[in-house]
Amino acid sequence: MSASTTTSRRSLVPHDVRLIAHQVRYEQLAFWLNRVGAIFTVVFSVLFLVMLGASAGQAHISFLHHLKLIKYYVPGFVAYGIMSACFTTLAINLVVRRETGQLKRLRLSPLPSRVLVVAIFVSTTIVSLVQVALLLLIGRFGYAVNFPVSWLAFALVLLVGIVSFSAMGVAISTVIPNQETAGPVTSIVFFVLLFLAGLWFPLSPHSGLEKFSNYFPVLHFIKAVNAPFEFQPGVSPWAWHDLLIIALWGVVAVIVAVRKFKWAPRRS
Amino acid sequence: MSAISVTNLRKSYKKIDAVDDVSFDVERGEVFALLGPNGAGKTTCIEILEGFLRRDSGQVQVLGVDPGLRQQQQWLRARIGVVLQELAVESFFTVRQVLERNAGFYPAPRPIDEVIELVGLREKADAKVKKLSGGQQRRLDIGLGIIGRPELLFLDEPTTGLDPGARRTTWELIRTLSAEGTTVLLSSHYMDEVEALAKRVAVLRRGRVVAAGPPASLGGRDRGQVTIRFTLPAGGPSSDLPVAPTRREGTSVEIDTNDEVVVLNEITGWALEHKVIVTGLDVTRKTLEDVYLALTHEEIDEPTRANA
Repeated sequence: MSASTTTSRRSLVPHDVRLIAHQVRYEQLAFWLNRVGAIFTVVFSVLFLVMLGASAGQAHISFLHHLKLIKYYVPGFVAYGIMSACFTTLAINLVVRRETGQLKRLRLSPLPSRVLVVAIFVSTTIVSLVQVALLLLIGRFGYAVNFPVSWLAFALVLLVGIVSFSAMGVAISTVIPNQETAGPVTSIVFFVLLFLAGLWFPLSPHSGLEKFSNYFPVLHFIKAVNAPFEFQPGVSPWAWHDLLIIALWGVVAVIVAVRKFKWAPRRS
Repeated sequence: MSAISVTNLRKSYKKIDAVDDVSFDVERGEVFALLGPNGAGKTTCIEILEGFLRRDSGQVQVLGVDPGLRQQQQWLRARIGVVLQELAVESFFTVRQVLERNAGFYPAPRPIDEVIELVGLREKADAKVKKLSGGQQRRLDIGLGIIGRPELLFLDEPTTGLDPGARRTTWELIRTLSAEGTTVLLSSHYMDEVEALAKRVAVLRRGRVVAAGPPASLGGRDRGQVTIRFTLPAGGPSSDLPVAPTRREGTSVEIDTNDEVVVLNEITGWALEHKVIVTGLDVTRKTLEDVYLALTHEEIDEPTRANA
């Protein structure tokens, strides 16, 4: 068997890449064929932006250099879209697949676990980027909100956000006992944090709510996505402090995910 | 070489012995059944053999390798097929899409159309999985189990929750696979299923093997006590029976005996001699269910005689 092991090791990388591409294709298919999931993720973020843009978008935020609200909403809903795909949708997806035995079956197939993990991450990234592209285009052509000034800083924020919130999505999936509670639990956690982080109504600096929300990653992510647009004078496009806190949450989430992840349904 | 060899296998959860010193062998090409009530250790055994669970102690060989060793698992998973208790099929895909996806995992998969044909889902090939009946979903599930041309197929309670028609078609499928040379390890709590499919069976109770052998001779049921039943004409016979009945209710008579040839000879001889018309003459051996219930000590009010 040593001979076959050597051969497989030599061709490991292209074989893995082929398998990843194969699995990503079906992860994508599963996401888009599940209309309810796709609507909750993609259509929601787009609809929120369009509706808020049409209603409150032209107001100005007094404590943010009289920034037009819509210029706060475009980055805000970019953040929302990514968190929704990576945190909520991924967590629900993993709980449903675990509890119906799909993860166990994948584990017992010859598909290597590393390939599955990478494929799920790539697929989540694709869904995130589709939303980012839609939101930027709607902002630019619907509400005259410019694209980010620093694309490099923007790309870094997306990368840190997608990786960290995906890790948090996997981590929370490990504490959700069954598929019935997966949707409510993740949605409540998500929407409370979004509200406290001022996604709809920006938080005035140094308010009690802001101090509280500073402990959680959501507010930092909204700030970090705002930075590369350079709408607020004197704010650097590189939000290092916010990115660090998001990454710290990501690291803790990875530790929880690796220690607690289960392939088999809970009840067995 | 055996397909599966298990010696002194042990596994406990939180100080409860789920599997307690179990040993058995499965020959290549054989259908072997693990029979037992819920919680007897069937699924734990199967999960250890699949390499999904670690064992505490004992020797296990599956297709010649130890499923507990990480470096063997990839090799093994390309050669086994798994059908879980859960109907683990994605509901948003079509039948063909699910099969195509899983085919991509294996080095030399069976052609998709061949699998669809084998599991009898040709009319449903392009239907969404969520539109299939329970029996059809189970057949797709078995299709996923065999798409990689497994040498060994694990079927964990494959017909639990299926209606009688769907159970029969699932049995036919298992027979077809077995005839092709696939080794099958089946777990079940249905006696008739084991009797219909398995060449040999091990009965588990609280993690231990309490009996093992071919279903026909399990627990010595090919030998030992039988029950002879018949009905006498209304009004009663002109003379007394030559053998004392064990139970008698109106005209129907039951006699339990270890010596059915002699008793039958006496009864029929007596009936001919006295011109008594005996109807419904029947000899019943203990059913597998009787043996199973005795072995697993389950209480039952009315003995149901399946497949008698």
